[in-house]
Amino acid sequence: MIQTRTLLAIGLAAAVLIGIGAVFLATGGPDGLESAALVVHGEKSLTGPAPPDAEVKAPGRNGVSYIPPFPDYNLGVGSGRTGSIIAIVFGIALTFGAILGITRLLRHRRREENQE
Amino acid sequence: MHIPDSFMPLTQGIVYWAVALVFIGLSLRWARRDMDEERIPLVAVLAAGIFAIQSFNLPAGMGTTGHLVGGALAAIVLGSPFAAVFILTLVLIVQGVLFGDGGITTMGANILNMGVIGGFVGFYSFRGLLAVFNRVDPAAFAAAWLACFVPALAAAVEMYWAGTFPLREGLIAMGLYHAVIGFIEGAITVVAIRLIISARPDIIGTGTKAKVAGT
Repeated sequence: MIQTRTLLAIGLAAAVLIGIGAVFLATGGPDGLESAALVVHGEKSLTGPAPPDAEVKAPGRNGVSYIPPFPDYNLGVGSGRTGSIIAIVFGIALTFGAILGITRLLRHRRREENQE
Repeated sequence: MHIPDSFMPLTQGIVYWAVALVFIGLSLRWARRDMDEERIPLVAVLAAGIFAIQSFNLPAGMGTTGHLVGGALAAIVLGSPFAAVFILTLVLIVQGVLFGDGGITTMGANILNMGVIGGFVGFYSFRGLLAVFNRVDPAAFAAAWLACFVPALAAAVEMYWAGTFPLREGLIAMGLYHAVIGFIEGAITVVAIRLIISARPDIIGTGTKAKVAGT
């Protein structure tokens, strides 16, 4: 059985490698929901390829237009693949840290309740 | 399957958020009760891995791409559908807020589809299929496939209610694409479960532990 610390290191290294691999190897193009949107708007046939200039039409069903700090997993125009790698590694670290922080906080609260 | 803000009226987004919040509350209760010091970092690593692998789109044919969602994986490994809700909620918050992958007003719907429906379908179909097949791999593969396919149909119905997709065309397109993407979900889920069982069988959740112990 692998020790927790070793598994943590292996798991995080694997996550970072997968994230970096995604920058170089992941397939571009619409995902399932975007492809379905292209089909229902007549821009793509059901089983055919997505036209290179096909754009997913945003129906604008609500007035919210949130602009994320790192759209499309990138630090911004001109940051290229390095920007994507940094953005994804940051996302991995933040997800790991957030789960760790929240679960530790919840455990701490449970211990406090048990002591009362 | 990440629904953007523009695909849904605000009022409907609020309704899905309200439903999702109930499950998020229950998932926090699960995390408080079921987590111990040994499992916490491993759950965090699993979440980080799911975040990473969600960014890795693979070709699914028919001009579309897909990636692992991870609802079935989280629920099966940690032995509770609420594990999927807990992990997918955090992953979807990071993706939506930082990277614009999925909307903010539609995040409740995305949590409901991928975390709640994906987690519950994945977990209970795994348990049922394991009783039938008596082997982890086919049960996990089929459960993960269902945990991709059923949320996609739910998203198609939500898109119909939102006035974004016609019902029939939406169901056919979403169903067809995610029926194929489900094979990616199934294959990665089986490999990940195998690796986790071989590395640390003790972290498999109590909800599935007894069933997979002999494999």
